[in-house]
Formats: sequence, C-alpha cells, structure tokens
Amino acid sequence: MSRYARRLDHDLARWREAGWLSADGEASIRRDVAGRSRSLELAPVLGILGAVLIGFGAMSFVAAHWNEMARLLRLALIFIGLFGAYGLAGLLFDRDHPAFAHAAILTGVALFGAGIMLIAQMFHISGHAPDAVLTWALGALLAGVVLRSNPALALALLLMGLWSGWEMSDTNRVHWPFLIGWGAVAAAMLWREWIPGLHLAAIVLSIWIVAIGYFLLDGHGHGVVVAIGLIIAAAGLAGPVILGRWRTWGEAAIAYGMAIAFAGLFALQFIENAHLDNLILLAIVTLALVVGGIWIGLKNNNGSLLWLSYAGFSIEVLALYFKTVGTLLGSSLFFLSAGIIVILLAVAAYRLHSRVQTSVEAAP
Amino acid sequence: MMDINRRNMWIGIAVVAFVQAAVLGWMIWQRAHLLSTGHEVVLEVIPVDPRSLFQGDYVALGYEISRVPVTEAGLKSGSTLYVTLQKTGDRWKPLYVSTKKPENLPPDQFLIKGRVAYASAPTSAAPGQATVRYGIEDFFVPEGTGRELEKLVGQKKLDALIAIDDAGNAGIKGLMVEGKRVYEEPLL
Repeated sequence: MSRYARRLDHDLARWREAGWLSADGEASIRRDVAGRSRSLELAPVLGILGAVLIGFGAMSFVAAHWNEMARLLRLALIFIGLFGAYGLAGLLFDRDHPAFAHAAILTGVALFGAGIMLIAQMFHISGHAPDAVLTWALGALLAGVVLRSNPALALALLLMGLWSGWEMSDTNRVHWPFLIGWGAVAAAMLWREWIPGLHLAAIVLSIWIVAIGYFLLDGHGHGVVVAIGLIIAAAGLAGPVILGRWRTWGEAAIAYGMAIAFAGLFALQFIENAHLDNLILLAIVTLALVVGGIWIGLKNNNGSLLWLSYAGFSIEVLALYFKTVGTLLGSSLFFLSAGIIVILLAVAAYRLHSRVQTSVEAAP
Repeated sequence: MMDINRRNMWIGIAVVAFVQAAVLGWMIWQRAHLLSTGHEVVLEVIPVDPRSLFQGDYVALGYEISRVPVTEAGLKSGSTLYVTLQKTGDRWKPLYVSTKKPENLPPDQFLIKGRVAYASAPTSAAPGQATVRYGIEDFFVPEGTGRELEKLVGQKKLDALIAIDDAGNAGIKGLMVEGKRVYEEPLL
C-alpha cells in the first residue's frame, strides 16, 4: 500500500464515522484507489535483483580468466547464455509473467556486456575502454526499445553515464556526445511514458551538468553550472505559469535545477577556494537559493524540494563551518551569520504560515 | 509488452538476441582476422607501473613507442598518431611519428596507429612528448598468475609479437622470452 493509500485509508474511516460518506461511496473510492495504485511487489523486484546478481556473476567469471575451461567453451557459454536469457524472456512473456520476463531481458543485456569483456580479454584488446561501454549501452538501448523493457532502458542510461564519465576522466574535456546518447535513452523512456525512468534520466543529466563544471573553462566552469541550474529552475517556475499546464514537470525541473545550481555554488565556494569576501557573497547567494527552495517547496506542498533544500542548508552550513573554523574571528562570523539566517528563515516561515492561515480562513 | 502481439514479441526477441550476438561475433571475427592476416612485428617490452582494473588480472606492457617525441602543437588526448616502424635486428624500432597517415611505405616499414593519452606541447628548446596507447598495452592472465610475467617485464627479457593491419590497427599475438615464443594464444 502506498503512503497515499495508507493515509486515505485512515481518512475514509474517519469521514464515514463523521457521516460525510456513505458506505457505498467509501467502497467506490477504495476500488478506484486499488485499481490505480501501482504498488511495488516483492517478486518482480527480487527478479530484477536476481538478474543483476547473475550479471555480476558472469562478469566476475570473465574477470577470473579461468583457464581450465577452453577458450571456445567460454565463448560458447556466453552465446548460449545470451540466447537462453532472451529465449526465456520470450517464454515468460508467453506465459504472462512480464515482470520475470524483464528480469530475463536484463540478464541477457548483462551477458552481452560480459561477452564484450570476455572477447576483449581473450584477444588482449586494451583499446579504448569507453567504446566498449558505449557498445554495451547501445545493446541495452536496442533491447529496451524493441522489447519495450524499462529495466534494460535504465541500464542503458547508467551505461551512457559510465561511458561519458570515463571519456571525461580520460581526456579531461567535456564529452558532448553524451547528450546524444542520453537523449536517445530519455526519448525512449518518454515514448514508454515511464516516469521513474525519466526521473533517473534527469538525475543522470544533472550529475553530468555538475561534472562538466570541472572540465569547462580549464576546470573552472562552475559558474556555468550555476547558470544552467538557475535557467532550468526558472523554466520550471515560469513554464507552467505561461503554458497553464505541466505543473508536475515544472516542479521537478525546479528541484533538479536548484540542486544543480547548489552543486555549482558549492564547488565555487569550497572546491575553488574562494576568497573570504567572495565566499561571503557566494554563501549569501547559496542560502538565498536554499531559502527560496524551502519557500517554493512549502508553497507548492512539494516534499522532495523541501527535503532537498533542508539537506542543502545543512550541507552549506556545515561546509561553511569547516571552512571558517580555526580562527575565533572566523567561527564568530560563522555563528553570527548562520544565526541571522536561521532567524530570517523563521520570520519567513512565520509570515508564510500566517498567510496560509488567513487564506484558509478566508476561503468559503 | 502486453500491447503487442505474441508473434511480434518473438520477432523482437530474435532481433535483439541476433543483433547482440552479431556484434560479439563481429568483434571476434575482426580480431581473428587481424591476428591471422596482419603483418608481424616484434617490439621490446619495457616496464611500466602495473595496475589492475575490473577485467581481472592483467600485466601492463610498455613499449619504446609508448612515449614519443612530437613536434606538432595542439595534440590533444584522443588524437590519432601514426608511428612508422622499421625492422632493425630482431626487433622493430620507431622511425618517425606523424599525425597524418603516411602513404607509400617501403616494404620493410609498417605503420602502427595510436591514440594520444597525454601530450605536452613542444617548446622552442625541446620537442613535446606524447604518451600514446595502441591497444596492445594490457596482457590478460589467469587470476593470480601475473607475478611471473611481471618479473620478466621488470628484467626486460620480454618481447611482444604484434600483428598490424594496413590501417595500422594492432593486436597482441603472443609474447616472446629471449627470442622464443611463449604465451602464444590460439585464435579461438
């Protein structure tokens, strides 16, 4: 039962006791909720976990380079495993066990990756490793699109991230082709209308945007990251207002944009070793951003944004503390400014609360 | 998956399985072809720091051509470099380095294509230096058996037998200790 369903369960009982709801009405609501809820079940989740374990098992087997087994046999094993996994997936779809079928597809994709590694090892190919990861990612994308398999798409996305991260750490430059790979997987997820997948895509893209700050402008591109984050957040704020729809998307964009901007500001303050006057300015901007996040989170009743902002506030304050600690003057500055900010926050919260209160009372 | 019919589902299964198998098969064919038809050259192995990655145990092999002088500025990591090799004695030595593929080589010279890992720009006083990878730097060995080989690398007793195709792609065909072939891998 989801959190929403649990709360509704409580409320329905209360409303019926208060006499606001007929027994029929309650039953209809319960049926509707049960029909719409897509609660996670244990069996499919275990199936996917099992597939992941088998995948790691296959890769460790390759890594062990077990010479007792002839090369040809090892290769044959990978091919048999590959066809076996996809064949099993087909049988499971046939018998109406789609959840287990997707686990079998994921196993097939994992074995494809293990096969790439095995061949690289057999022939001592130490070529460009990210190319191998890209090949694997494309195989996962193919399986995800053709077999309409969300787990395979999720794996494709993670592999695209690994591909790009590896390229960037290898060359020390921004790896723009990532956007093409990411876009292809994200488009497939959009086509599948798979919301959790799109969130995963947004998280991977956010991490990538934060990462390019360390490569742009000779490694000092964090300002660009902050700008990109703020633009995304602003688009999330303004979009639904202008278009009159896509509110959920807008709220997600605000949260991701703010998180990106926060990560950029954090790097500017603590990775770049900002000067004290610069640091104070940046810290004020960061805290303003966090307070803005809390305010928007409260206004839109967006729990994720609220918690993200709280976490951001804690991280920022803690980092400031470690940065300024050491001199008494620094510590004093820290405590004074943090205190003032918390009080300002309290005042803001109080005013917001009283405004909400009045608007509730004013409502008919 | 429920929204498409069973026949299409099986076609999809077949497409994914065969395309992925074909990719693996192509990788094998390409390598086997390179090793069986490529020109053979022998390069001296020089020691480098051994590392280990998730592909299990392997011995890192260094070569004379792993660090080459460069005269061109603007070489970035990821750029392609060609090194022309010529046979001198039992081994092959680098003759010159170029960013463009040299044409019409005499029959006793071969090209090897590399990818710049790191390059320093040339100055007026000295040429720059590039660290280059050719895809022949890792020799995978069964788990726990890398020490022996590492010792041979350390004593500079090891040569690598390399196959190169006309485009300059290279693969390790085997290893040689004091002129004798050891560790020669079968094609399959």
